[in-house]
Amino acid sequence: MKKNALDVLILFLFVLLPSSLLAANLPEIVIPIPLTGQQAKFGEMMKRSYQMAAEEINAKGGIRKQKLVLSFEDSGAKPETARAIVEKLIDSKKQPIIVGEYTSSCAKAVAAVAEERKTPYLIVASADDAITRQNYKYVFRQNAVNAHYADGVIDFFKQVVKPKTIAILYESSAFGTSGADAMVKDAEKLGIKVLLKEKYESGSIDFKPILSKVKAAQPDVLFMVSYVMDASLLMKQIKELRIDVKLFAGGAAGFSIPEFPDNAKDAADYVISATLWTPQLKYPGAKEYAEKYRAKYRDYPSYHGASAYSAIYVLKDTLERAKDYTPEKIRNALKATNIKTAFGPIKFEDKEGYQNQNFNDTLVTQVQKGEFETIWPQRHASKKYVYPIPKWRERR
Amino acid sequence: MKKLAPALIIAALAMLPLIGLNTYLLHILIITIMWSIIGMAWNLLGGFCGQVSFGHAAFFGVGAYTSGILYHKLGLSAWWGMPVSIVVVALFALVIGFICLRLRGPFFALGTLAVGVILRITAENLTGITEGNLGIMIRERTWVDKTWYFYIILTLAVLVFILIKKIIGSKLGYYFVAIREDQDAAESLGIDTTFYKTIALCLSAVITGLAGAFYTSYMGYIDPKVVFALHDISIVVIMVVMVGGVATYWGPIIGSAIMVLLAELIRSIPKLGAAHLTLFGLLLIVIIIFLPNGIIGDIPKLKRLLGFRKSL
Repeated sequence: MKKNALDVLILFLFVLLPSSLLAANLPEIVIPIPLTGQQAKFGEMMKRSYQMAAEEINAKGGIRKQKLVLSFEDSGAKPETARAIVEKLIDSKKQPIIVGEYTSSCAKAVAAVAEERKTPYLIVASADDAITRQNYKYVFRQNAVNAHYADGVIDFFKQVVKPKTIAILYESSAFGTSGADAMVKDAEKLGIKVLLKEKYESGSIDFKPILSKVKAAQPDVLFMVSYVMDASLLMKQIKELRIDVKLFAGGAAGFSIPEFPDNAKDAADYVISATLWTPQLKYPGAKEYAEKYRAKYRDYPSYHGASAYSAIYVLKDTLERAKDYTPEKIRNALKATNIKTAFGPIKFEDKEGYQNQNFNDTLVTQVQKGEFETIWPQRHASKKYVYPIPKWRERR
Repeated sequence: MKKLAPALIIAALAMLPLIGLNTYLLHILIITIMWSIIGMAWNLLGGFCGQVSFGHAAFFGVGAYTSGILYHKLGLSAWWGMPVSIVVVALFALVIGFICLRLRGPFFALGTLAVGVILRITAENLTGITEGNLGIMIRERTWVDKTWYFYIILTLAVLVFILIKKIIGSKLGYYFVAIREDQDAAESLGIDTTFYKTIALCLSAVITGLAGAFYTSYMGYIDPKVVFALHDISIVVIMVVMVGGVATYWGPIIGSAIMVLLAELIRSIPKLGAAHLTLFGLLLIVIIIFLPNGIIGDIPKLKRLLGFRKSL
């Protein structure tokens, strides 16, 4: 019995050793992602998009003629678990680059580990400004920072809506808070008076108390920063309470994913939202990706998916340019990235106090007849914006 | 032999980093030991003294934030949080105890549940002190290598274990058990129940707070949702103790091994890992149905079950 075990051990050594000695082998890339819990919807969309990109790359011959193998681990949006996964990847699997995660708190935990262990980390959709402001050398972010999410919306306000007052509702999370703070700063710059800035518990079911405050304040514009369920519930209850303002605006995330018009139905109509990407953009591959995703999963993806999809192409580009697959060489290659993807042009710059940060145009979408249409900036527009919007009682 | 067992286990654990364990396993071990400390703390109050708390995240969070605020506002090392949190959390527990310990049974449980949630919301809104939802991030952790973290948390765990054993073996421990068994009878025998319950709560809170302070230094990032979490902390600690064995010395340790170590193992099974919550849930159901007193509490039953199989 004992001898048998020894044989197996020796066999294992023989099988495992040579494969680990072949350093040029393309490593399997494991992606930490929330697949359970509140953030699972985003995780799922990103997972599908990662896979889609990997399949395309493999169909075209892979990376340096080797197949790219992806797998996923569920972090449940818990920083402890995200960290455990990444420690394992860096340490036991010797994975030379980390991609993934979604919530800002997890990304922060992962970024700290990546920096300590000198392993490059590519952030795909975590928005909190602070992550790329830490003088980290190994942390790269492909999506825009939260402070810039609403740039498009602000521009739309300036050119079209010209509001005098604004009310801001946001969910109590790092994303919600930094989004709301950025909006306050921008509003002050434009001379828009902030009448109300209220935080709510994410996952609430009754928003009527804070909504009645909004109704009493009578702002020109209502700006909201929320994740999935809250966004549609907010709009439904706004419709029930017949709160009429000149414009309803959302700050990406919950207001920019297909579940929003699906769940909120006609209450979602005419709501504009900041977003980082839409299927109507004229970036190479954007339309193809969106149509392919829709054909497979019956809905258009949001910027989360597009960013994830493009991240795999960034990964491919980086790995092909890296001299070898060591974290150091990959990091240098990643830093020199300058490619056009379905998510837009990507290069990692050090400016405005951010390090290794990609700056993309942020856009504005409007829900028209249950579909997201890009309305701003005008050079990207797919349909003309509807403004002023009809009052609730004038709608059918 | 039985007396030597704890010493042997500690020695074996202390040797672990020397044999070159990789940092992933070390991370899991550190988290497991941290949870066993929180479990032991909860067990002191909930197991031995019979005051079931659903709000231990409150103490964990206060400890964590003590560290975080010292670092963020005063520029001190987050490690100062460990000694300072003893004082802060103790004062804090006195206030909570003053209010909640007048309540009994389920009302106490509900009271503590509320305290945990209230504190989370407070931390979210006191942006001037806690940075609210943006959390506190420690720019550079003390060591990249995990060995020292491991020894610190292991030492803490050993000290807590010895402390709890000493307390329960002393007169104080008997008072606690008496309060658990029948509070009115204990009172009639001249035990100042409110006073001793307060002591149990303070001790339990301080130990939990220490674990919280350690968490800040170790993880390097805290926000109210993470450290004041109802599900991920308050409820998990109850599960740790329930699965391991209520009012036993080793229960929380076994419990945290299952709740953290085993959960992580199940999660990392390839393919099947995707259903980790289902599998883990099933396992917990089985344990709770067949071993209602926890694994340590039902050791005789376990032995009988296993012995039965052997004789077949």
